[in-house]
Amino acid sequence: MAYEIKREGKEIFGDFKPELIPDECGGNIDDYEESLHVLMKFVGSMSSALEQVSGRGANAIVYQAGKRMGHEAGKMVEKTDDLEKAMQELSEILGAEFYFDMWKPAGQDGYTVEKGDETVVKLIFRDCVVRQTLRRTGLPQKGPLCYLLYGYTVGAVEEVMDIRGKLDIDHVGPNACLKTLTIKWSGK
Amino acid sequence: MVEIEIDENACVGCGSCVDDCPNDVYEMDEAKNKTKVVNADDCMACLSCHEICPAEAMEHKNIHVAKRLYIDRKVNDIIKKII
Repeated sequence: MAYEIKREGKEIFGDFKPELIPDECGGNIDDYEESLHVLMKFVGSMSSALEQVSGRGANAIVYQAGKRMGHEAGKMVEKTDDLEKAMQELSEILGAEFYFDMWKPAGQDGYTVEKGDETVVKLIFRDCVVRQTLRRTGLPQKGPLCYLLYGYTVGAVEEVMDIRGKLDIDHVGPNACLKTLTIKWSGK
Repeated sequence: MVEIEIDENACVGCGSCVDDCPNDVYEMDEAKNKTKVVNADDCMACLSCHEICPAEAMEHKNIHVAKRLYIDRKVNDIIKKII
């Protein structure tokens, strides 16, 4: 008799036909959690291998990947010149998994600071799946994977506002990360 | 508004939180050789201080607690039964 692999979970049996909206996707919250954790481990491992092979070039590769995603996502929302509206749209693009707020020190009047032809705004990322992934795999923050969010944000802002932007990581923590978004108006 | 409490009995006065905080929320109380909160308004609740504090002497109240999806719920359930 052929050997059969023993498993704890029950195998799902049912009918299947190609359809646009499946009534049943299969799996419960535990399956989703398991898949998420496996994915986190894969991505973390990929990021660390990429850094090992490409050195500092890994940051540029991941940044480019994120920026492409950001540009694609930015096409789904309305273009605007208004920074506050752009931040609102950015929060919709990044979604609940990249929950962020604008941040300022208590002594500063407004969120934005004008510096010549640049506008600077500090963003505090409170929820971040990149951070979750890094913590799941025991990798340090500020590494190549953080450049994914960097690229994603810059790509989305560039697409929404049709300008050049950059994002610098000021500080990383286990519960929130502070970043500075600089918008160059002359780069239009 | 963020409220920060330091357990003075637990604080070992190492000053790690003072060095690590990017917004100068903490200062060393030289007389007591303990950390004190001097600028809670500028705290952005990154909780770097929690991670670095060897004595787990601080508590932040009324903050956005980030999702911790990296924690395996099955492992958590087992630990809960033990502790």
